[in-house]
Amino acid sequence: MKDESAKLGFRLTLPAQVLVLFISVFPLLMQLYISLTDWSPLSGQSWTQAWTMWNTFANYSDVIHDSRLWAALGRTALIMAVCVPVEFLLGLGLATLFMDDFPGKRVAYSILIMPMMVVPAVAGYMFYMLFQSGGPVNDILSRLLGHPVTLAWLSDPRLALVAVMTADIWQWTPLMFLILLAGLVGVPDDQIKAATLLGAGPVHRFITIVLPRMKAIIGIALAIRVIECFKIFDTLFIMTGGGPGVATETISVYIYKIATQDLIWGYVAAIALVILIVLSIACVWALKRMAK
Amino acid sequence: MTRSLAFMSFRYAAILLAIAIVLVPVLWMASMAFKPIEEWQATGADLTWIPRAPTLDNFRYIFGRSTSDLIVTLDKTALKPILASFLSAGIGTILAMTAGTSAAYGLSRFGSGANLPLALVQLRLFPPMAVMTPVMIMWAFLSFTDSWWGLALVYGIVTLPFAFWLMKTFFDDMPKEIEEAALVEGCSRGRVFLKITLPMMRAPLASAALFVFILNWSDYLIALLLTTKQWVTIPVYMASLSSSMTGQLYGAKAALGLIAAVPPVVLGVLIQRHLVRGLTFGALKQ
Repeated sequence: MKDESAKLGFRLTLPAQVLVLFISVFPLLMQLYISLTDWSPLSGQSWTQAWTMWNTFANYSDVIHDSRLWAALGRTALIMAVCVPVEFLLGLGLATLFMDDFPGKRVAYSILIMPMMVVPAVAGYMFYMLFQSGGPVNDILSRLLGHPVTLAWLSDPRLALVAVMTADIWQWTPLMFLILLAGLVGVPDDQIKAATLLGAGPVHRFITIVLPRMKAIIGIALAIRVIECFKIFDTLFIMTGGGPGVATETISVYIYKIATQDLIWGYVAAIALVILIVLSIACVWALKRMAK
Repeated sequence: MTRSLAFMSFRYAAILLAIAIVLVPVLWMASMAFKPIEEWQATGADLTWIPRAPTLDNFRYIFGRSTSDLIVTLDKTALKPILASFLSAGIGTILAMTAGTSAAYGLSRFGSGANLPLALVQLRLFPPMAVMTPVMIMWAFLSFTDSWWGLALVYGIVTLPFAFWLMKTFFDDMPKEIEEAALVEGCSRGRVFLKITLPMMRAPLASAALFVFILNWSDYLIALLLTTKQWVTIPVYMASLSSSMTGQLYGAKAALGLIAAVPPVVLGVLIQRHLVRGLTFGALKQ
């Protein structure tokens, strides 16, 4: 009986194991090999022949001196540092408004979570249209301010960054709202009532009872957004293509550009491996902390 | 608990503002999709929120019935990209769900594959751009590049973590008594899974599959890297809809964007109950 179970369990998990192995081990080894060479798909040789272009650790020392890479990393961090907290606060604020019932709640809820269902590339295109200098955003601003506004959102380096952040906040605040609301609803009612009877005001109740119980959920929500924000590509690439110049070039956009335009795949592999190693270490560290 | 009038009005005001912000970009695209070419780039006083002369020309145009107003003829219509998106996202979903469901059951009931939860989360952690070059080399070698099956295979692997985690939490939640009863009756473990567990889990399976389908349908980067001509998906095709003669084909792009946006939004409403569970890898249930 036990044997049968173990055998069946092995068989059931086999396809997933094969797929994971297929996407992690083989590409990883291939990347490690190529990262030690100058190989490029334009070199006219298949990747197996890459050893003829061996350059040992040259690619890795290039990574350290690649100022464009570090700038892209800094920009990604900046987008993360602005978007994630804003999304969190807006999402939390909205979620607190949804804690008890009111007429129209279901409809409002369904509409508010819609942005995250929109295909990111399409969302990027929406905001590309909105931020045209003769587009609706400037139109609304003109009406609010009472004089014509003609900001060139997507061709001004600073404004372009604001525009892509706006798109990210529009699309992903609903995710924060959704997760945090699920967490808020899970806080036991009786504790809140008890605190109310003892004379605690709503703000005080929120800080001393609700927030501590939401710690894990807030952690999950922030972790998900930080991870996804680090990968940011679709919306941003459609809106600005990383431009003007390199003003909105994030880490993914940078790798995309050197992989598809410069085609220096040996170097791309080196960057990718460094990122994978750093992320893995960060992941293990974070999981260890969470376990505590 | 009674709320003060001030709070109620503040709440409605705040929610209405949020709804307006959510809707403006969507409505602008919807309006653009029905605008004739003259209104595409109208600015200043001419800028209209509702098309002055609504038309279906943009939709006709992307489906190949070229209209006189739009000078350029398309290399290809939107039909093939729509098919490509459905095929690759659909087959990718089937692959992810098959591998994910069986692995989730194996772990949930027999404790096999204890390495999978972490390995799959890690898979999700890495930026796709950092792992795609070896895949591109392999796919070129296997001549999978620019094909719906090549894309579907990558989609299946990329969304496997979601399928696995979702189904694992569903299996963990499921009462085990029925399975145990069937075992006592003399059913084999494999038969119990196929004949009793799976049929019982039809609703969760459907939600998980729809969730995975939305994720696959939403991809842009992977299709951008792995397809070039024959099997480009909707987002890639959409981004290519501009020419040196006309510049951006605003209305045509908006029409296509509207088509691309409809399936996930509709499916998303259908599986609203399970969204939180799916998005948090089952860490949170609603």
